[in-house]
Amino acid sequence: MRHALTAVLERNTTFTADFVTEPYEAGWAAEARWFVRTLALEGDAPSLRLTAQISPDGLHWCDDDGSTEQIATEPGMVSMRVREFGHWLRLRATLTGGDPKAKVLVYLALKS
Amino acid sequence: MTVDATHPAADDLRRALIATNPKLSKFNPLPRILAFDEFDTGTHGWCELIGNHDGHGNLDTVDVHMRDFRPPQLSSCDFFDIGTHAAMSGNYALKVATRPVTGHTAVAIRRLTMARRGVVQFETYFTYKSEAATAESSLGNSFGDIEWDGNLHPSEAQFGAFTVATDLCDGEGVRYHCVARYQNTDLDHNLTRRWMYPVVPEPTPRENLHNQENLSPTEDFTAPNPEDWRPLGEEPQFLCYNEVPTKVNWHYLRWQFDTRTRTNIELQVNDRIMDMRQVPVPAYPDKYDGLENLLNFYVSVRTHSPVRNFLFLDSALISVDW
Repeated sequence: MRHALTAVLERNTTFTADFVTEPYEAGWAAEARWFVRTLALEGDAPSLRLTAQISPDGLHWCDDDGSTEQIATEPGMVSMRVREFGHWLRLRATLTGGDPKAKVLVYLALKS
Repeated sequence: MTVDATHPAADDLRRALIATNPKLSKFNPLPRILAFDEFDTGTHGWCELIGNHDGHGNLDTVDVHMRDFRPPQLSSCDFFDIGTHAAMSGNYALKVATRPVTGHTAVAIRRLTMARRGVVQFETYFTYKSEAATAESSLGNSFGDIEWDGNLHPSEAQFGAFTVATDLCDGEGVRYHCVARYQNTDLDHNLTRRWMYPVVPEPTPRENLHNQENLSPTEDFTAPNPEDWRPLGEEPQFLCYNEVPTKVNWHYLRWQFDTRTRTNIELQVNDRIMDMRQVPVPAYPDKYDGLENLLNFYVSVRTHSPVRNFLFLDSALISVDW
């Protein structure tokens, strides 16, 4: 049977500026999927751009070259798949708009 | 349900079988093994602890000091200098990691119940580290009591404390915690390297029902007031941090308590055995429903510096005498 693990990286957290999630080590996993549930997105034309990042050491990061950025412009769920990553994953989020404010849950679903 | 470990021949055979099993011979289990968790094969039920939420599923109702204990990771102990260090048993260890925020705590919990009262033993092979520095995150060559001298490394003074603990509840609703903490540094980053225990029970969601922000997000949730912690003996115990943040040496820990008497028995960490029979175990003054025979174990790690702290478990074994 394959291994599967879901981690909640942010939980009902409100951000008013760009952020990155905590590093998550998952060398055992062959595939990953980010789920970002935006509970509230406020401000003047706010948007939340989500980029998967990868790292060999959990310290130094680059954007994942194989996944597609997602943009949330209203409350709801967006998802992004990541494959063939190094052993570390995190999510980089860019908040744009006037006085933007985003309240999110961030899930990382992993499978061997 | 009993194990015949009193018959000498049966006990000799049991010990011989454990001694010849490469996976088990590094442990000293009581007669019945409840759980044997090699993290090379998964998380085995060790998961993030979180405070309770309301009937609407609204996570905003979780106490703020129990909202961010971080999900454990299955780590191959990868580091920037050598790549994969790996665990003691296979490739993966359970990693509990704080945020790089002074006072932040990460907690992993394992939930069981008691089929009978008696002696319970928790064993693990563990190590603890601070996160390696980068050019951007470095706090320099001097931190707390340590000046980099080619041997001692400031990273060691950036590690706060780790804790092994329980959440226990009798059939009569009497709830209590047996707790042991290794305090590597005090809150001023002085190396203390001592085992400690709290003299008050942990704050619970019921106490904060109408005030989720009663305690801050970086509170020491096991016992928030530093005055409520006492040293277990006067002598420090020096563990093998091994200089830099990228070398992991596995330590043996064995801890016993008795749910008949609601007391600790002893704590062994490598070559030291500490008698814990006289350590007070305060129970909550009121009764708890819905927690019949609760037998929870948790491990936590708390950083006293703005550096991520990690507690790694290679494996854990929970055994009982019932």
